[in-house]
Amino acid sequence: MLEMFEYGFMQRAFLAGVIIAVLASISGTFIVLRRYSMISETLAHSALVGVAIGLVAEYSPLWSAIVFAIISAWLIEYLRSSFSLYSDAVLSILLSGSLAIAVIIVSLGGAFNNSLFSYLFGSILSVSSEDVITIAIFGAISLGALLFFSKELYFVAYDEEVAKTSGIKVDFLNFLLVTVVAIIIALSIRVVGSLLIGALMVIPSVSALQFRVGLLKTVLISLVFALLSVICGMTLSFYFSLPSGATIVLCVLGIFIVSLVINRK
Amino acid sequence: MSIKFSVPIFDIKNLNFIIKGQTILSNISLEIFTSEYIAIIGPNGGGKTTLVRMLLELEKPSGGEVKIYGKKLSNFKEWHKIGYVPQRASHVDSSFPATVLDIVKMGRISQGGFFNSFKDEDKRAVHDAMLKMDILDLQNKMIGTLSGGQRQRVMIARALASKPQILILDEPNTGVDVASQKNFYALLKKLNKEEKITIVFITHDIGVIADDITRLFTINQKAIICNNPKQTLSCQEMSELYGIDAHLLHNHRHEH
Repeated sequence: MLEMFEYGFMQRAFLAGVIIAVLASISGTFIVLRRYSMISETLAHSALVGVAIGLVAEYSPLWSAIVFAIISAWLIEYLRSSFSLYSDAVLSILLSGSLAIAVIIVSLGGAFNNSLFSYLFGSILSVSSEDVITIAIFGAISLGALLFFSKELYFVAYDEEVAKTSGIKVDFLNFLLVTVVAIIIALSIRVVGSLLIGALMVIPSVSALQFRVGLLKTVLISLVFALLSVICGMTLSFYFSLPSGATIVLCVLGIFIVSLVINRK
Repeated sequence: MSIKFSVPIFDIKNLNFIIKGQTILSNISLEIFTSEYIAIIGPNGGGKTTLVRMLLELEKPSGGEVKIYGKKLSNFKEWHKIGYVPQRASHVDSSFPATVLDIVKMGRISQGGFFNSFKDEDKRAVHDAMLKMDILDLQNKMIGTLSGGQRQRVMIARALASKPQILILDEPNTGVDVASQKNFYALLKKLNKEEKITIVFITHDIGVIADDITRLFTINQKAIICNNPKQTLSCQEMSELYGIDAHLLHNHRHEH
């Protein structure tokens, strides 16, 4: 099995994958608890607009993906809080809108090729050393922000109004959470793919919640599930020449089904 | 009973709330003082919850002003002095990953220091709140496994953990069994008399607590303030307030 680590691209993909598993599972727990799971899908599609611009302009798509995911996250929060729109409706509008814009850009720029395909479904071949460094640095900052405000985010997830009346800056925390999630999603699409990153964020957390334990244990279980899925998924992807994102998601789906069955009342 | 009051905790002047052209509250002016036990009654949709939400800055008034400890709400920072138990207190998401202890500790979060570490003072406050609500033995249980009455006690313990000077309760006993409600009313009385916590309580069970409260506010778009709650409201006033025959609203304050 260690044979795959003889390849430099596999070492980089594994390193990036492990970091993404940590980031996605911890941030995913907070968005699942906030009943905000769909935001991961919407932000992944918004990041795709950045990828499209990066590909057409022949500039690193990772940076433009981060910028567009953040803009979309702020727009979602703004629309939700200022226009009393339903959250799921806002997410749905931005998801379709972003995808349409991304497709038009790549179509006009003639960039419909394998490179775009790898951003849609993830590719372990395409992770560069620069990508790993960027993922590690931005990931550490995002994770630090999440952990620093974890108690407040937990309170807001449980009861937003009571948290607000106790003096917690709920609006700031909502913006912080969506910003961090936007960055993590943009960082992840290289390995997992924009169409599948939502699954890696949401499914490990939902599986961990089936065990009905406190927050810390839920986050830890979610983390273990995400790591297990990424490691198994990448290994299978390497030996059977499968797309990494899809293989990782199938692994996490398997874990979800097992979690459901063993915790059935 | 003579009540001596100084600076009001809440000073509400000419408060209006209009939403989509419909007037919910009109020209409400009232004050709430230290150590009072205020009951708020009124028909559903009469604006009781809206009034309380404006006191907590959860809704912005269409007109008028609310001051808290002499300050505008927007300038007030010491929100830990206010404990709030909302209407849906006993309804919780059964799969939320939190023990009773986790929930009560939330009451101390806004007072946390750097990195939000729990100091001895916080641990004591959490312990005292659970002791008062008699839930120490439940502290490691998941919140989703508790009964409605137990959850209600947990939510009040969370509010008490911040050592509030005012406790605002919006019908938190909806859906709770009768025995738990009786204990709950006794506890509110004790918190008000012994701990001098000001209580603002939206309720429909005015008959049960009429002997405990200091004043009664009846809210139905406008406010009627009753300074001697033991007299309660006349049938005519009740009929005007609720828009139905007040004799149907008979409450069991007395033994039959």
